[in-house]
Amino acid sequence: MKSDDKSQPDTIQKEDSENTNVNRREFLSSATAAGLAAASLGASKQALTQEAGQPLVAAIAPPSAAQEVMESDVPPGYDAKEAQEYFVKNPGSDFMVDVIKSLDFDYITTNPGSSFRGIHESLVNYGGNRAPELLTSPHEEQAIAIAHGYFKVTGRPLAMLAHGTVGLQHAAMAVYNAWCDRSPMVLLAGNHMDITSRRPGVEWSHSAQDCVRVIRDYIKWDDSPVSLQHFAESMVRAYKIAMTPPMGPVAVVLEGHLQEDEVGDQQLQIPAMTPTQPPSGDAGAVEEAALWLAEAENPVIVADLMAHDQEGVERLVALAEALQAPVVNQFGRMNFPNTHYLSQGANVVAQADVILGLELYDTWGTINTMRDRVHRDTQRKARPDARVISIGVNDLFMKSNYQSFQRYYSSDLSIAGDAQTTLPSLTEAVQSVMSGSRRMSNGEREERWRAAHTRAREQARDAARYAWNASPVSTARLYAELWNLVKDRDWALVSDDGMQSRWARRLWPIEKHYQFLGRSGGAGLGYGAPAAVGGALAHRSEGRLALNVQRDGDMMYVPGSFWTAAHHGIPMLTVTHNNQGYHQEFMHLQKMSARRQRGIDGSSWVGNELRNPDINLAKIVEGMGVWAEGPITDPSEVGPAMARALSVVDAGEPAFVDVRCQPR
Amino acid sequence: MDKLGTMHFCALVLIGSWSVMGVAQESAADFSEGRALFESYQCWQCHGYQGQGGSAGVRIAPTIYPFEAFLQLVRHTNLMPAYSPNVLSDENLRRIYEYVRSIPEPPALEDIQKLSLY
Ligand code: HEC
Repeated sequence: MKSDDKSQPDTIQKEDSENTNVNRREFLSSATAAGLAAASLGASKQALTQEAGQPLVAAIAPPSAAQEVMESDVPPGYDAKEAQEYFVKNPGSDFMVDVIKSLDFDYITTNPGSSFRGIHESLVNYGGNRAPELLTSPHEEQAIAIAHGYFKVTGRPLAMLAHGTVGLQHAAMAVYNAWCDRSPMVLLAGNHMDITSRRPGVEWSHSAQDCVRVIRDYIKWDDSPVSLQHFAESMVRAYKIAMTPPMGPVAVVLEGHLQEDEVGDQQLQIPAMTPTQPPSGDAGAVEEAALWLAEAENPVIVADLMAHDQEGVERLVALAEALQAPVVNQFGRMNFPNTHYLSQGANVVAQADVILGLELYDTWGTINTMRDRVHRDTQRKARPDARVISIGVNDLFMKSNYQSFQRYYSSDLSIAGDAQTTLPSLTEAVQSVMSGSRRMSNGEREERWRAAHTRAREQARDAARYAWNASPVSTARLYAELWNLVKDRDWALVSDDGMQSRWARRLWPIEKHYQFLGRSGGAGLGYGAPAAVGGALAHRSEGRLALNVQRDGDMMYVPGSFWTAAHHGIPMLTVTHNNQGYHQEFMHLQKMSARRQRGIDGSSWVGNELRNPDINLAKIVEGMGVWAEGPITDPSEVGPAMARALSVVDAGEPAFVDVRCQPR
Repeated sequence: MDKLGTMHFCALVLIGSWSVMGVAQESAADFSEGRALFESYQCWQCHGYQGQGGSAGVRIAPTIYPFEAFLQLVRHTNLMPAYSPNVLSDENLRRIYEYVRSIPEPPALEDIQKLSLY
């Protein structure tokens, strides 16, 4: 069921929830020091909270009317003892909701499950399904990726509720993506440890000794609390750990009996969440780096998972301008405006004598290449004498099983610290050590880079005209058509363009951090559609127009993402890059066949095509309540179809145009 | 110069003989066979159905190469899977080449209003 007002959550109004909510709100605004969410209460009359630096503060929320009734009146037909065994006055999960609310999550994404029915009920009937609001996902993988996309727009983590067993198993790949992409979220996993109270059958299948184990290799931290107080502390700790760079997912297990049982006379408190200031690079090392950069003939900056927000973009602009050094944006995040003349292609790395890598996912691969041939030979792209400075949090990760950390590279100067946090001191140091003559050369440098930037933009436009009238539609045309439609709007791309020959980066002016969200992280398919929905959800409250270029292969993993968008009234304009197959794998198979001198004339379709029968993507989403058109094969029809879709999006709904496209 | 460099060098020398090769093509010729081979041999995968190129392969149409250079580049490559004569005969490659050559220039930038706005 959709709520009529798209900006409002599906709120359940409890008869007495107003009072409780007012108390909580007042409490939150008054009890928090320095704007930090400290604690909230309401569920348990016994709940106590701890402000930063204070010991315990008594609870202020009165018992709800329903609780009063249960306390004083025995319902008809029950004696006092029976009533006690039939009804729960003050369930543990209400307190859990207080803890969750204290952390100020906007949403909890979920696919419902019995192992967390206690807290599910509390979130709806006690928490009023507000802050956080539940967001229904037909698959846990989707629920995680929504949180992933949401974080990258807002910088705010979401929580996700899942079965500790089958739910986390479904979620696992998406958690891995978030881990690789340094995107925090708090997973809440339902579980039942005590075998003596497990219901026979499913409750056993849905319980584990150590349910987080399936994802522990790629989360930062987890805990399995055995008491409500333990839960409160671990939850706040989990949040804090997730949000401290290097950021990443964390998990807290919700024990079944803790959710469902009475709080009783426990004295509970919610610890204050004091955010950890991100680590900044060592001052001496930063000065050394500044000296190298200021003395370099051709300094080059390469940035990947760097900017957390617009502030990060601006800090990088300041450094680049101080040095008049080109910036290669690897677009793990939107780090640098591509309209800025210092925004340059990766080829500039080859000329550099000093390379500054900022939060690089792959330093080795930035400096070297490995050819994908029978003999995988490697070559250094950078000059042999080029010195490399790395600033980032990579070395602060401490997991080893999954190899997302990439090949080891011996940087000449390696600084552990959040790059965005470190940048101001680096820029300041550069300014102060830069010689007068070096400073004098900045004008000439600027001229040179302006010319190179203009050339590259012209080349991109020129390249876009090839196959302009082709059918299937060229990916350049797809992006050009979309741009023409939205260029005067406050738009934001909520998908990556890496599989469409990077046309957004090459053609569109991308200047704001929120306009581009980077990659999936672990390159696990099934990220695109739900992360786009998460991004679009975040843009909704800002009134921005969310644009999703959707790959067909990705969409087939989690098509239910579009249902979530329709159900929760999340406006988003989707156009597909539908190349009817797993195109990357086509090329891999073709490579293998060519290497082995067999089957190069068409065997690569096998196992890779998404044809026979062709998939009618528009019909799929239409069946889930999303306005849709397509498949479109005539390039001249793409623009008009997008325009029709846009009018639907402007009315607050998702809309979808399926376009059959060229492979890349 | 490594083996690869040598190959590219040869190709460049051959481009130099462009005028000798001649550019005239019988314009009414039927390139459907070459097109079918371009598709069945999967050249489109990385170069696009009109040879326009993209992130997986460079633009190859309209081609500036004479056939011999084209052949060298397809047989001995750097990043592209090398197609040996055992699986793609010179004859079929020539048909592919002729199709690639037949792909016309796209509209000029000035004539594509949607690209002129950037
Ligand atoms: C798996 C991807 C892939 C496939 C399939 C492929 N190519 Fe390529 N091709 C490339 C890449 C990448 C290059 C870039 C040059 C290089 O190898 O360094 C290239 C380069 C070329 C070039 C040289 C262009 C230049 O200007 O340097 C020609 C000609 C060419 N390909 C023709 C073909 C033909 C004909 C086919 C089909 C028989 C084909 N390619 C199939 C990836 C591919």
